Amino acid sequence: MRRIVQSFEESKGMAMLKYVSRRIAISIIILVLISATVFIIFNYLPFDPARLSCGKHCTPEIIAGNRHRLGLDVNWWVQWWRFLEGIFAGRNYGEGAALIHCGAPAFGYSFTQHECVTTLLGQALPVTVSLAIGAFIMWLVLGVTLGVISARFRNTWIDRLSTVFVLVGTSLPTFISGLLLLLFIVLKFNLISPLDLGTWHSPLTDPWGWFSSYFWPWLSLALIYAATYTRFTRSNVIETSSEDFIRTARAKGVSERKVLWKHTLRPALAPILTIAGLDFAGLLGGAIITEQIFQLPGLGRLTLQAVLQDYDLPIIVATTTLAAAFVVIANLVVDLAYALLDPRIRIS
Amino acid sequence: MSQSPKRRAIAATLAIGVAAATALVTGLQSAQAAPAKGGTLYVITHQDQLDHADPQRIYTGRDIAFMESYVFRTLVMYKPVPGAAGTGLVPDLATNTGVATDNGKTWAFTLRPGTKYSDGSAIVCADVKYAISRTFATDVITGGPSYPMQYLDVPQDAKGNSTYAGPYKKTGQADYDKAVTCSPDNRTITFHLNVAKPDFNYAMSYPISSPVPAAKDTGDKMDLAPLSEGPYKVVSYKVKGEMDLVRNPNWSAATDMVRTNYPDKVILKFGVSEDVRDQIFLKDTQKTAINFDAMQLQNNISFWNSPASKTRGLNVFDPYTNYQAYNVSKGHLDCLDVRKALFFAYPYDAIIKLNGGSTLYGTPGDNVIKSNEGVDYAKTTSHINDKNFMSAGNPAYSKTLLATAKTSCPATYAKATSADQGITIDVSDTAAAKKVAAIVTPAMAAAGIVVKYNYIPSGSYYSTIQDITKQSDISGAGWGPDWANASTVIPPLFLKDGGFDLSQNWDDPAYPAFKALCDKANATLNRSAQAKLWQQAAEYAMAQYWVGEVAFTKQQLSWGSKVGGVDFWAPQGTFLFPSLYVKG
Repeated sequence: MRRIVQSFEESKGMAMLKYVSRRIAISIIILVLISATVFIIFNYLPFDPARLSCGKHCTPEIIAGNRHRLGLDVNWWVQWWRFLEGIFAGRNYGEGAALIHCGAPAFGYSFTQHECVTTLLGQALPVTVSLAIGAFIMWLVLGVTLGVISARFRNTWIDRLSTVFVLVGTSLPTFISGLLLLLFIVLKFNLISPLDLGTWHSPLTDPWGWFSSYFWPWLSLALIYAATYTRFTRSNVIETSSEDFIRTARAKGVSERKVLWKHTLRPALAPILTIAGLDFAGLLGGAIITEQIFQLPGLGRLTLQAVLQDYDLPIIVATTTLAAAFVVIANLVVDLAYALLDPRIRIS
Repeated sequence: MSQSPKRRAIAATLAIGVAAATALVTGLQSAQAAPAKGGTLYVITHQDQLDHADPQRIYTGRDIAFMESYVFRTLVMYKPVPGAAGTGLVPDLATNTGVATDNGKTWAFTLRPGTKYSDGSAIVCADVKYAISRTFATDVITGGPSYPMQYLDVPQDAKGNSTYAGPYKKTGQADYDKAVTCSPDNRTITFHLNVAKPDFNYAMSYPISSPVPAAKDTGDKMDLAPLSEGPYKVVSYKVKGEMDLVRNPNWSAATDMVRTNYPDKVILKFGVSEDVRDQIFLKDTQKTAINFDAMQLQNNISFWNSPASKTRGLNVFDPYTNYQAYNVSKGHLDCLDVRKALFFAYPYDAIIKLNGGSTLYGTPGDNVIKSNEGVDYAKTTSHINDKNFMSAGNPAYSKTLLATAKTSCPATYAKATSADQGITIDVSDTAAAKKVAAIVTPAMAAAGIVVKYNYIPSGSYYSTIQDITKQSDISGAGWGPDWANASTVIPPLFLKDGGFDLSQNWDDPAYPAFKALCDKANATLNRSAQAKLWQQAAEYAMAQYWVGEVAFTKQQLSWGSKVGGVDFWAPQGTFLFPSLYVKG
């Protein structure tokens, strides 16, 4: 008997290990392909960053020199290979007294921001993570609470009020709600000095400064998501409430409070947490509009500037790959969690 | 007109001999109270960073004015006073404005004793020589002025490129060392030019002459951490953040006749959203701030309509002209009658009204040399001075011109009038440009002309239209002279090797005579005689309609109520930074 159990446990462990390995390998391939895709797209865009940074007295030779400096004088696959190499071995740019070294993991050097891209990512990431975490907590608390309340009090005035919130929240895009919030509340009532917008306060050294500077961006972002999550939660709770096991619980005389908290919410919230995880990962890639409105120097703004103003390929590739990595990792975590819960997934 | 964003990569330096007559100044307090010391001056901009902060790369008039007033010092500088007097040069690091010999082919500047960097080390001739050598390193020092490459007597290869590759590669170093020399006492720098250049000292008012010691050159990184010799030093510069300047303890007013250090700190705040920035100045919420940018149109109108806010504003003719460059190369607008037909059909009134009216936007112009440019400007006989010009557009006259073109140049006529072909206009892809298109298209249609728009992302606009293979029939552009001489306007805009010839006119039969005229003007040392030649060259180019609609544009500055000493620095086209202070 013992041997049989052990064998079963071993095969279960092996299956999980294989599954995890396969998913990680696929994730890495996806990221590599995404980075290659960005290089291909950039290569075929009708822009010439070498000419863009050339200045007024621009001869073909100077443009060619610029192209070499930017690393754009070779085919896209060579550029891409150098990018991959740099991640593991670091990269040098220029020569002589003008040599610049970016240590591994090097995602390139931005000649418009005069900094290694890894450093720029390191500066932008805490901003975006701060924004994403706060907004995530806020929208989950707000959305789930409202969703549960409106499901619990279905078809009452509370439910209708929540429906209004959902409609307003989902129909107001962030660039409107964020701007309204900023101009007519934050600045009008001097809740933040306009010159303090976008200033980084570390949560470790200045927690209140961090909280107060991020509260309004959190709210702006959370309102949209919370509205969607209210609807999700409401419909999931209502759907779960009509399941047989809930009816059984009620038939057994379990209190309504216990039915809701113990029997309904657990299954109802599981898919919501999955979606929330993916949404959170998406936000980590940069909440471009919110960052732009509130002047937060996060990944979104870094990407926007690189795309719209400078055609700064190293930044575009790095931020795109990083954003993709967040989503891929979140997917991986969700899939692994499901695999842990459901053996059929890892076996198939 | 508004679809042609002003060229950023030019310095806006010009003479305004008649500035007092043309500038419409509102709210300017010329009789300022005594400047106060102390406080923090905030300079607010929507831009995420300066185009460049490296002295040899900086080339935007506004940025030059800011950095030259606070951080850099140059051999010579524009006199920091308002009005026409501000266009004259004064010595800065040098003891005079330069000594020219050999009919302007050799220039010498002797450094003032006692000048220091912010770290306390002395400024010597070798540092200026090294700094200027950096401009030859076009693979690292990009985007800046190229005057040293153009004028210094350094050999060029068959393609016209310098044989000297700059101080990093050092190829051709000996050639450069011959062209630029330092005296044995390391105080006098001498420039040997390849051509007589009587106004070469104006080029030295640019930060290209700001010293850089070789040992402290950080190459590309210098754009984030420039050295300081001026009254302030950069203690922090973060893209999308701010540039913080504090007083430089090694700067002495005794060695600097030009600058001041009134505020304790100067903070250049980047990345402020346009809406927030405009609200700051509309409502005066940051009283010690100045606006580094122009406001958005509607907010600008509100600002100037409000008696409360407009006292904190300045409305002046800027150094720039906006214009439509007609591409006259074969297959484009290679027909004078068609070019004229396009010009006379243009609805000037509607476009100016769309952009805020003549009070805020500007007026129709007759010349690429602006009327406030002094001796080089003369009224032309074409464009708005033609008797057929109507500011609302004159489609009837355009039709007569097209009728002539039908026989004189049938291919271009067919292109202009055929729905299949049409005239393509390059514009920056902005909402404002689309509004302009909505007005221009029917106006042209009324004259029988078909126009189409090529919307180019604003970030790559100039790089696209400067590519002769990609430029369409008409391209909107803007230009301001680099200094007080039309040699920095006419040749750049209309000569093949000028650097910004969007007219592609070098195959036009009228070009050889024009080039000869420009060459003669460039070689003329007598300034009055030279001015006459530039006037003739401008008249000639305008009569060929190598450019179409021209606008003499205006600019509005705004600031907070606790900022004193505000004036317009005409040659730099922005605030007179050295006079600014924070009111007590």
